Amino acid sequence: MSTASRVVDRVEQIPFLDKRDASLLFVLPGLFVFSAFMLFPVLYLVGISFTNAEPANLFAGEGALAVLTFGDAMFVGLENYVAVLTDPTFWNSFGITWLFVGTSVTLKLVVSISIALIVTSERVRGKRVMRSLIILPMGLPAIFTITVWRGIFSSAEFGLANQVLRSLGMGTVSWLSERWMAFVAYNITEAWLAYPFMVIITVSALQDVPKELHEAAMVDGAGYFSRFFHVTLPSIKRPVLFASILTAAASFQQFLIPFVFNEGGPARQNELVVVYGYREAFSFAEYGEGAAISIVAVAFIAAFMWLNVKRGKLADGVSES
Amino acid sequence: MSLLSGIVRKLREDAENILLTPVETAREAKYTVEGVRRGEIPPSKPLKTLGATAGALVLVAGLMFPIYWILMAALSGSGGSIYSSGGLTLLPENPSLQPFIWVVGDLIVPAYAVSINIPLTDIAIAVNTPEIAFLDASDYGVERTSDFKHFFWNSLTVSIPTVIIAMCLIVPASYALSRREFIFRRKILFTYVLLTQVGGGLGIALLIGLYAVYVQVGLNNSKLALSVYYAATAVPFNTWLLKTYMDGIPVSYEEAAVVDGAPPWRVVTEVIIPLSAAGLATVFIFVFLTGWTEFVVAQTLLGTENYTLPVGLFSLVSEYSIPWARFSAFALTFAAPIMLVYLFAQRYIEGGLSFSGMEG
Repeated sequence: MSTASRVVDRVEQIPFLDKRDASLLFVLPGLFVFSAFMLFPVLYLVGISFTNAEPANLFAGEGALAVLTFGDAMFVGLENYVAVLTDPTFWNSFGITWLFVGTSVTLKLVVSISIALIVTSERVRGKRVMRSLIILPMGLPAIFTITVWRGIFSSAEFGLANQVLRSLGMGTVSWLSERWMAFVAYNITEAWLAYPFMVIITVSALQDVPKELHEAAMVDGAGYFSRFFHVTLPSIKRPVLFASILTAAASFQQFLIPFVFNEGGPARQNELVVVYGYREAFSFAEYGEGAAISIVAVAFIAAFMWLNVKRGKLADGVSES
Repeated sequence: MSLLSGIVRKLREDAENILLTPVETAREAKYTVEGVRRGEIPPSKPLKTLGATAGALVLVAGLMFPIYWILMAALSGSGGSIYSSGGLTLLPENPSLQPFIWVVGDLIVPAYAVSINIPLTDIAIAVNTPEIAFLDASDYGVERTSDFKHFFWNSLTVSIPTVIIAMCLIVPASYALSRREFIFRRKILFTYVLLTQVGGGLGIALLIGLYAVYVQVGLNNSKLALSVYYAATAVPFNTWLLKTYMDGIPVSYEEAAVVDGAPPWRVVTEVIIPLSAAGLATVFIFVFLTGWTEFVVAQTLLGTENYTLPVGLFSLVSEYSIPWARFSAFALTFAAPIMLVYLFAQRYIEGGLSFSGMEG
């Protein structure tokens, strides 16, 4: 606040920049383009969700004006929403999405905190090198990582997961054509995809834990685990909560993993909600229902994020600056 | 160019560190051994250190194993088997670069016939440029090569306009948000932070609407329209990032320039832009990678002839029987440069990537 206004005070003496709100003009182009590609599709999606849009009628109209009339699609009121909300596949997809959020966030938290504890441990040598190696997956494009993991869980010859199972003397698993095995595969991949971010945040939080606290606890005779639960965990709680909020949101919207692995299969059982909406529209040509599902998903993303912003105080930085 | 010299200096420091690490470790080990011999250090201590380090190394190796596996699969001509008749094998048996040649394909500049008519005379100069072959795939026994170059070109023609458009939108906005006070400033910032968190999933949820609009306007299968979309999605996060970076530049520099009588545009071009070079580089890389690595929207909007690299990669894996070596080589050729850029970025441009801005 103060830094910005000081410059403004100086700069205001220059006649050209007399009106301070003129600076809004710098921001508007970006805001406008962004809204054009985010806000307009939202409105359009809301519109489509009240029609019986299919490729046949949606793209039938002539000229650019047909955009505004949704082609030849007919208004059907709340029919799509009723159809979606009474469809057991939707509730299945909805349930599996929240289950995925729960399991994958737990897995990510456990994995990342353990990794972070190990690479900050006093006894380990070469921690810096290990740390920079360990966050490598963050630099890989998501589509690369996920296709590689698709290969790992492949039931075709040379799939890595089955090779490991076989070398341990266990039978092979057809990962992607069994529901819960596919779900496990999703979780493992999601954890591998997201742990670097969590580890970075946890490591920097761990380094901020005052040494004196640990020493005091040691003098009092606390063991490793009681020190972890009573000293370390309370001190890193806030940044880790911040990281888990973000990663939970990422899990909720996970699209690529189910889509690349087996398109949310087998038999549409594992379609996370975003995949479900996408497939309903593009694989089954039900644009109206797909739009309704997407609206429900967007509403949940928004509510979820709003809740998390309130709880996690993400916006503190904005109000202070 | 202070950024470049900074990078060079850091690179040198890194090299020195790497070279000195074994020396330091040896010195430390010697000291410990002598301490143990003299009875000053209890022998359990170095053993614990050794055990913990070994455990951590195993963990790191386990986490990195998928990357190693894909590299091995690419190098072994047929497929990446860690399990052969002789038990576990961690090195490819017959390493071959053939899959990579399949990916890259022919690198041949074809022969052109150039003829120039000199005006007002009858003289014409005809030149046949020689064919330059850097790499001829058929020499290595690869007959049909991949479409990698085609995908690469598509990706490039999507990403470069994305970067140009996005930078034009982001840089002025982040300067204004960082240094000026105006109406709605806080509301815009708050929206941007929120959307930064929501990000990618929202884009996919809105894809039905976007697709329908694009098809009706006739913009689907247009690479430029796709780049505009990517630039738009890149705006909130990168504006926020660059704004946070610019907040870190001391205001006194600008005050000094203003006192010296510099007009506002010179304050920007000679103080703000040079000082935020690292932040700009970070944003540049992020925006470029947005277009380079995005998959879902590209796959939905683009036709087969315009597929970008990620879509090309996916089309390999979705086949029923995966050609392991070729798939791995393709994936690595796609991802390795990004990985290197990222490694540099996180090490040398880390100033631009502070999460501190998120928390105030």
